Amino acid sequence: MIDVTTYIRPGSLEEALDVLASGEFTPLAGGTDLIPHARGRGPRKMLDLSGLSLDRVTRTASSIEVGACATHSELCRDAVVTKALPLLSKAAALVGTKQVRNRGTLGGNVVNASPCADTVPALLNHDAVAVLVSKDARRKVPVEAFITGPYATCIGPNELLTSIVCEPLEKPTFVSFLKLGRRQAVNISRMSLAVCLMMDGKGSIKGARVSAGAVFPVARRMREVERLLAGESPSKRLFAEAGALAAQLMVKESGVRWSTPYKRPVLAALLERALAEAASGNFGEQ
Amino acid sequence: MKLKFTVNRRATTLEVTGAERVIDLLRERLGLVGTKEGCGKGECGACTVLLDGSPVCSCLLLSSQVAGREITTIEGLSEGESLHPVQAAFAETGAVQCGFCTPGLVLSSAALLADIPAPSREQMKRALAGNLCRCTGYQKIFEAVELASRNMRREKRRRR
Ligand SMILES: Cc1cc2nc3c(=O)[nH]c(=O)nc-3n(C[C@H](O)[C@H](O)[C@H](O)COP(=O)(O)OP(=O)(O)OC[C@H]3O[C@@H](n4cnc5c(N)ncnc54)[C@H](O)[C@@H]3O)c2cc1C
Repeated sequence: MIDVTTYIRPGSLEEALDVLASGEFTPLAGGTDLIPHARGRGPRKMLDLSGLSLDRVTRTASSIEVGACATHSELCRDAVVTKALPLLSKAAALVGTKQVRNRGTLGGNVVNASPCADTVPALLNHDAVAVLVSKDARRKVPVEAFITGPYATCIGPNELLTSIVCEPLEKPTFVSFLKLGRRQAVNISRMSLAVCLMMDGKGSIKGARVSAGAVFPVARRMREVERLLAGESPSKRLFAEAGALAAQLMVKESGVRWSTPYKRPVLAALLERALAEAASGNFGEQ
Repeated sequence: MKLKFTVNRRATTLEVTGAERVIDLLRERLGLVGTKEGCGKGECGACTVLLDGSPVCSCLLLSSQVAGREITTIEGLSEGESLHPVQAAFAETGAVQCGFCTPGLVLSSAALLADIPAPSREQMKRALAGNLCRCTGYQKIFEAVELASRNMRREKRRRR
């Protein structure tokens, strides 16, 4: 059993925000992070979000808004997401197990803010913005600023994450998403990389976006690597240099740890591979 | 609260707090003990049930989250005395040893075949990755899914 004293499942956002205004309730989406941790942790008041229809994907002229309660399975299936945000659907496809993808949501993944949350590097490459709503206010915070540390975000106790707005990339952009885990199928990432290469008409890299999960204390863009790639022509040497730079950044920021002798060469090789995969266009053009 | 949902094609109403885990409702209130609890953390898949046809872990599901929805447990897969083709195939190939993971594996396999009638080995591995078996080494399980897939497709052709 889990310890819950009060349980509410509102049917509208207004009602949910009224309940949250007390600051005492914990939102519950898919429960795949919350429920395993709720056991034996003392009583809680829970607010079930499943009646709020927050799982829609909507396309506007310049962006795509993904409802916070869209499940990973929905992100793998949704025609708009798979076409315009292929990095996000690939990341979602690599989350946990079928059972977990059927319940776990995008919003839960972001608010839980694990350093290895798989959708986060994909979202960072799309300049994603979190839409936060409370009874009296609504604000938009870039996902990069929203996650403030391992398992920490700037969400208030009276706020709900209602959606995440993503910018599709200009064409032609080549992308890849690689995740390294302990075994292939079910896996918490040891490392994940999201790569976008925006190409100019002459085969050079006009701009690049590279984000890493489970490499730094908080998933982040590697702008140093992006700058190295911009303006260059894709080559094995360039990608090897980018890999080496990423490894250097990791050691500089996270320090030398027991895992460093493993992680340093692996990150370098993984980034090199992700860049080569993106450049080959095998993963798909956006 | 009054919880109305469908369990194994039967409309069911229960008085609940909303915060019970679905696995506890099934086993303790409804006597459906075919659903097993293994890790209780969503990792082993022994508690798998189908929620509107899709596999989920009933240990991570709270009762109010299934209001108005349809749950299928292993008890609801067979039609009376006749086994579901996946159940028959598990028995025929000997894909069962201690049996603890079997209800979950059978349900995940049935959901896979409803989605993809002739899955590749890769697709099977991906679909069943959330169901741990510590006895069989999975080989016989994959063979059972392949046998069920062949039998179900043959049955479908025959009926057309
Ligand atoms: C076996 C297993 C394997 C897993 N594998 C992976 C993996 O490979 N990769 C990965 O990234 N994750 C993995 N996870 C973690 C988890 O499934 C994901 O993080 C999932 O996306 C969480 O979503 P949820 O809807 O289940 O969140 P919940 O558990 O419902 O909520 C998580 C947190 O977010 C808050 N919250 C949720 N939605 C909102 C909202 N809309 N507004 C405000 N707060 C909100 C909750 O209060 C809670 O604090 C795994 C989990 C399990 C059990």
